[in-house]
Amino acid sequence: MAGPRVNGNSKKRKAATEEHAQPEETVFSHNVGLEMQSEDEGSEGDESDNGEVDEFPEIDPRSDSEADEEYPGDSAEDEEEDEDKDDEEDEEEESEDQSEDDDISDDDLHIFPKAKTVTSDITGQLKRVFPPIEPDYDSDSSTEEAPNRVGNIPMHWYDELPHVGYDINGRKVLRPARGDELDKFLETIEDPNSWTSAFDKKAQADKPLTAEELDLIRRLQENEIPDAQYDPYEPTIEWFTGKGKEEIMPLSGAPEPKRRWVPSIWEKQKVMKIVRAIRQGRILPNKPKTASDKAQFYAIWNEEPSAHPAPLPAPKPRLPTHAASYNPPEEYLPTEEERKRWEETEKEDREQNFLPQKYSALRLVPAYNQFIQERFSRQLDLYLAPRIQRTKLQIDPNSLIPKLPSPNSLRPFPVYKSLSVLHAKTRVRSVSVSPDGAWVVSGDESGNVSLWEVIVGKEVKRWKFDGKVGALEWCPRTDVVFFVVATEERLHFVIPPNLPAPVLFATQAVLSPANLPPAPATPSPVKWTSVSAASSSSEKPILTIDLPPSSGLPKQIAWHRKGDYLSTISSGEGQGGVWIHQISRRHSQAPFKKVKGAVQLVLFHPTKPHFFVATQRYVRIYNLAEQKLLKTLQAGIRWISSMDVHPLGDHLIVGGYDRKLCWFDLELSDKPYKILRFAFHLSHYGRRTNMFLCFM
Amino acid sequence: MGRLRQKGKAGAAKAYVTRSAAVKRLQCSLADFRRLCILKGIFPREPRNRKRANKGSSAPTNFYYAKDIAYLAHEPVLKKLREHKAFAKKLARALGRGEWSSAKSLEDNKPVYRLDHIIKERYPTFIDAVRDIDDALCMIFLFASLPSDSKVSPSLIENCARLAAEWQLYIMHTHALRKVFLSIKGVYYQAEVFDQTVTWLVPYQFTQNIPSDVDVRVMLTFLELYQTLLGFVFFKLYTDAGLVYPPPLDTKKDESAAGVGAFSLQEVQHTAGPEPASKAKTLDADGKRVSSKDVRQTIKSISATVVDDVDVDMPNVDSTSEEADEDFVAQPSRSNPQETAALPTLQALNSIPQSTSTKLFSPYTFWLSRETSRPIFEFLVRSYGGRIGWPATSGSGSPFEEDDESITHVIIDRPLVVKDNETEEERERRQRRKYVQPQWVVDCINAGKVLLEEPYAQGKTLPPHLSPFEDRAGAYDPTLGLGAQDVSMEDEEESEVEDVSEPEEDAEEEAARPEKAALKAAAAAEDAAALRAAELEAEAAGVDFGTFEKTAQKARKKAKSSETPAVDESEQDMNKMLMSNKQRKLFERMKHGEKKRAAEVSSSGKCDCASLIIFRSDKTSKKRNEL
Repeated sequence: MAGPRVNGNSKKRKAATEEHAQPEETVFSHNVGLEMQSEDEGSEGDESDNGEVDEFPEIDPRSDSEADEEYPGDSAEDEEEDEDKDDEEDEEEESEDQSEDDDISDDDLHIFPKAKTVTSDITGQLKRVFPPIEPDYDSDSSTEEAPNRVGNIPMHWYDELPHVGYDINGRKVLRPARGDELDKFLETIEDPNSWTSAFDKKAQADKPLTAEELDLIRRLQENEIPDAQYDPYEPTIEWFTGKGKEEIMPLSGAPEPKRRWVPSIWEKQKVMKIVRAIRQGRILPNKPKTASDKAQFYAIWNEEPSAHPAPLPAPKPRLPTHAASYNPPEEYLPTEEERKRWEETEKEDREQNFLPQKYSALRLVPAYNQFIQERFSRQLDLYLAPRIQRTKLQIDPNSLIPKLPSPNSLRPFPVYKSLSVLHAKTRVRSVSVSPDGAWVVSGDESGNVSLWEVIVGKEVKRWKFDGKVGALEWCPRTDVVFFVVATEERLHFVIPPNLPAPVLFATQAVLSPANLPPAPATPSPVKWTSVSAASSSSEKPILTIDLPPSSGLPKQIAWHRKGDYLSTISSGEGQGGVWIHQISRRHSQAPFKKVKGAVQLVLFHPTKPHFFVATQRYVRIYNLAEQKLLKTLQAGIRWISSMDVHPLGDHLIVGGYDRKLCWFDLELSDKPYKILRFAFHLSHYGRRTNMFLCFM
Repeated sequence: MGRLRQKGKAGAAKAYVTRSAAVKRLQCSLADFRRLCILKGIFPREPRNRKRANKGSSAPTNFYYAKDIAYLAHEPVLKKLREHKAFAKKLARALGRGEWSSAKSLEDNKPVYRLDHIIKERYPTFIDAVRDIDDALCMIFLFASLPSDSKVSPSLIENCARLAAEWQLYIMHTHALRKVFLSIKGVYYQAEVFDQTVTWLVPYQFTQNIPSDVDVRVMLTFLELYQTLLGFVFFKLYTDAGLVYPPPLDTKKDESAAGVGAFSLQEVQHTAGPEPASKAKTLDADGKRVSSKDVRQTIKSISATVVDDVDVDMPNVDSTSEEADEDFVAQPSRSNPQETAALPTLQALNSIPQSTSTKLFSPYTFWLSRETSRPIFEFLVRSYGGRIGWPATSGSGSPFEEDDESITHVIIDRPLVVKDNETEEERERRQRRKYVQPQWVVDCINAGKVLLEEPYAQGKTLPPHLSPFEDRAGAYDPTLGLGAQDVSMEDEEESEVEDVSEPEEDAEEEAARPEKAALKAAAAAEDAAALRAAELEAEAAGVDFGTFEKTAQKARKKAKSSETPAVDESEQDMNKMLMSNKQRKLFERMKHGEKKRAAEVSSSGKCDCASLIIFRSDKTSKKRNEL
C-alpha cells in the first residue's frame, strides 16, 4: 500500500510544484478558497493557529527552476497564490512526515528524503528545506517498478499480442515468459515467497506482495479496520470540559422556563396516589415474607361443597397378589422356562411386571430397582393415558343364552328308527305321507312307486312307471284321496286301492268328471288325458298330464292348501319350467314367461293368492291374482335348499346348503328376522325338523 | 330432510380437541399445559370414534374434552404461570444487567400460585379426598426416602418426610391400620380412614436414586399437588381427632434419628387461653395405655441411659385421661362377628373389650433387634397397641432398654447362633422372651389374632407369607390344601399358651377344621393320584377310613349328578343359535375369561398338590425313622 501512496504523494507534490495553473482537484481546493478569502480580508487571526502560515515561502532556485523558467514575470498576486500553495504543501508534508516517521519505525522503509531546517534568507525565520528530487533511482521508484505505462486499462486488450504494453519511452514491454502448470507448481514449491505473491496484471507475472499489502490482507481477514493508522479509541478532545474551558456564556438568551423551579403538579398527583395506597395498606412496601413460602392449611371442607359432581376418581392400581410376597408359596415361583419367557417378552406385554422371588428372611430382601419407574409410569397413566368409562358386566354368561323350551318338553317325537323298508337296489327320489297319516308312497329312480301302510309297514301296492320318478305328493284334500307322481315330462294322478266307495267316487269325480270343463280359448301345450271313471282302476293312473316336450323331469310338486291347484317345476329348460295346474278346470298355465335364475322351489301361500318362488339366492313373492312381483326376500344364503311357510302365512323359513336357516317375518322387511347358523344339514327330513323347531 | 349440517360443527368433532389444539388455544407452552393437566386432574379421553373426533383424520393423537380445556382457559394457575414467565424474563434481564437490587425485589415479589381452590374443586367433599390419597401417600413416602440432589431440594424431602410421619402418627393414634403385606417391592399398608380403605406402598429402607429415564419435573409437579392435598387432609384428620396440626417437631430428637417419635401429638385446648403448654397434655405418639409400672420402668431406664444423653420422650399422661382419649373404632372383629351383629346397648358397649384386633399387641412389649427395620415395625406394633423398644443403633427415642423385664417378644431376623459365653442372667432372660422373625408380626396383623410363635421362631424356615389383599371370590387359596401344616389352624394350642379370651366354640371349630379340610380334599379329588393324596392327608388328620370312603363316594355321586347338566349342553348349543352376533361374541369373551381364571387356579392347585405329596412323604419318612 505504501508504494502507491508514495507515488500519489510524489505526484501531488509534483502537481504543486509544476502545475500551478491547472485547476486544483485535491480535496483541499475548497479550503484553499476559504483561506484565500480570509486572506483577502486581511485578517491576522491566522497567526494564532499556525505560525508557519505567515512565513514567506522561499523559493529554492534549484527545486523550482522549471517553474521559474515557466513563469519568469510573477505578479504579486501570483506570488501570493504560490505562497499559499506552498503553505499547503508544507502542511501536507509535515503530516506526511509524521506518518512516514511512523512507517519507518514500523517497517524500516525509507522513501522520503529528510527535510533540513534552515533560516530563510528573506524572512529570517526558520524554514524546512527538502533536498531536491533527482530523477534517478533514488528519487522516484515508479519508473523502475512499473515499466508498463499503459495505465489502468483492461489488460485483455493485449491478450493476443506478444507485448503487454509500453514503457515510458514508448518501447514495447514484452510479455514475460510463463511456464506451464507444472512450472508454476514447481515455482510454488521452490520459491518460499510464492504463497505471498499475487498475479500482477500489468506485468503479467507473479509479484510478491509487499509487507503493507500483507498487513492489509491480514486486517481484512480478521475483520479489523484496514487502515493500520486509524485509532478507533482515540482520546476525546475536550473542548468545553476541564479547567479553563468552561462555557461561561449561555447558549441562548431565552429566560429560564418556569418548570425548572416550580414543582410538577402531575408528579405530585402520582406520588400522592402511591402515598394514599400505602396509607390504606394496598401497597405493602416491604411485604413480610412468611406466609408465601409455607402453605397454610385450614379447614377447606367446612363450607358446603359445590353442586358440581366430583370428578371421577382415577382407577386405583391393582393390589398385590401372593406372587408379590417376599416369601411366596412355592407354586408361585417361576420355573426356568417361565422365567425365560418373562425375560423375552417386551416390558409392555408382560402380565406381571416382576418375577416372583423367595427370600428366606426379611433382611435379605433388596431394594426393588423398578420402584421409581413404576411410580412414574403410574403418574404417566394418571395424566397422559386416555380413560374410558366401562360398565363392568357382573352377569352370568349363561344368562345371555335365550331361553327356549327344552326339546324334552316337546315330546313325543320320533327319537329312534322303528322300521325300514327297502326299495330294490335303486335310490328313492321322493316320499310322501297321506294327509291322514296312514299311508306313505315312495318313488325311486327305476320308476317303481310303492304304497306303504305306515302302522303295519307292509307294502300294499306297487306301480311301475317308465322313467325315473322325480317327485310324488299326496293331495292335501281329505274328502278325496289320490296322489301325483311326476315322471319324465308327465304327471300321473293315481288313486290308491281299497278306498271306501264314497271316497273313491268323489275322487273319480274330481279327476275325471263326467262332463269335462270347456277347453281354454288359447291352446295349451299341456295335454290332459283321463281315463273315464268307470274304466279307471288303481292299477293305472286315472289322469295324466303331458307337460310340454323337453321340459325334463319335474323336481318338485307343490300343492295349494285347498288341493285344487298344484305347481310343478321341471328340471328342463324353457320358460323356467314352472307350471300351475288347476284340476277343476283341467287347465295348466306357466305363470312366468321368464324367471331370473334357476328356480329351486315353489310354494303356495296358504291363505292369499301369493306364490313363493325360490331361486338359488332369493325368494320372490308373486301375487297370482294381480300377476305382479310383491317382494324379493334376501336370505343371504348361497344356495337355498328348502323353504316352508307357516300355516297362518306370516312367516317363512328358508334353509340353505350352507347350514343356515333364515326366518322371515313377511310383514316386516325383506331381510331375515333371524338367522340360525350351523343349524342343520338340511335334507328332506331336516326340513320337517325345521318346522317342528320353529313353529310348534 | 332436516337442515344441512356442516361437517365438523357438531358432535364429536366439537366435543374433543387434540392436545396441540388445546395448547394453541391456551397460549401456553407444552410444559405449562402438562403442569396444568396434572394439577387440575385433566386427562385425555378416548372418543367413541377417533376418526370423527379428529375431523376425518386417523392420525394417532390424544383427545381432551373441549370443555375441560375451556375451563382451563380461566384457571388462576394459568394466569400465574403467565406471570411467572414474564417474571423470569424480567429477572434474567436484571441479572444480565447486573441490577442486583431490582433483581432482588423482583425475586421477593415472585408470583406464586396456590392450589387450595384446585383441591376444593377436585375433591368437593372430604371423603372424596380421602378416597384419592393412595397415590399421594405412595409419592410422599417415596420422596421421604430419596436423597436430595440438584433437582430435588432438601426442603422438599424434609417436607415429604414430615407429611409421612404425620400420616403414620395419625394412623397409630386412631389404630386405623388393617392390613400389611411384605412384598418384594416394598411394604403395602392398608388403613381404614373414614370408612375408606387407603392403601400405600413404602419402599424398603435403601437409598434410591432417580433413574435417568424418569422425568423428574412430572414427579415434582405431582408432588406439589400431593403435598397440598395431604396438608389439607391431615389438617382435617387431626382437627377431627382433636389434635393440633401440624404436630410440633422436636428438632433435637429429629436430629438424633428418632423418626416418628420426634413429633408429639398435642390435643387442642378448647378452654382457650395463652397459657403455655404446662397444662397441655402431651400424648405419647401412639396414644398407648401407660401404666404406672411402665412409668416407673421408663424412669429407671432413663436413669440408666443418662450417659447416652438421649432424652426419651416421656408421656406425662395419667392413664384415665388416656382411656377417654381412645376413640372406639367401629370395626367388625373378624374373630367373633356375632358380637357386632347384636344391637349394642350402652352397658354392652362399656363391657365390650375394645375391638381386640386393633389392640392386638397391647399385652405385649417388643424389642427390635438391630437388623430389623425400625420404621416398619415401630409403626406396626404401635398402631396395634404394643410397646416397642430398639437399640440406640436404630435411632434414639427408645422408651426402654434391652434388659427391660417387661419385654415379651424380640423381633429378630438373624440365624440362630449358639452363644457360649452367655451369663446366667442372659440365658434366663432369653428363655423368658420369645424370639420371633419379623413376618410373625405381619401375619398376626393380617390374621387378626396372635398366632403361635413356634413356626416363626428364630432360625426356622418361615411359612409362606400370603397377600391379605387376595380375597377375590374363587381365587386360588394356597392355604387350603396344606391341612395340618397350616399355622393358623393351631389355635387350640394358642389358647392354652396365651390367655387371649377367644370364644370356646371358635376354638372347637378350628379344631374340627383340619379334618374337614381333608374331607374337602377328598371330595375335590378326581383322579386316582389326587384321591390317594387326599387319603394320606385324611389319615394324617385322623379321619378313619370308613368316613373317608363315604365322603369320597358321596363326592363321586355328586360329581356324577353334576355331570347331568352337561348332557344338556347340546340343548344349550341349540339355544345359542338364537343369540345375535354381538351377544355371542360377548358370551364367548366371558367364557374365555372364566376358563382362563379356572386354568390359573387349577395350575396353581396342581402344583400345590405336588408339594403336598412331597410334604407327606417327608412326614412318612420321619415316622419311619421314629419307628
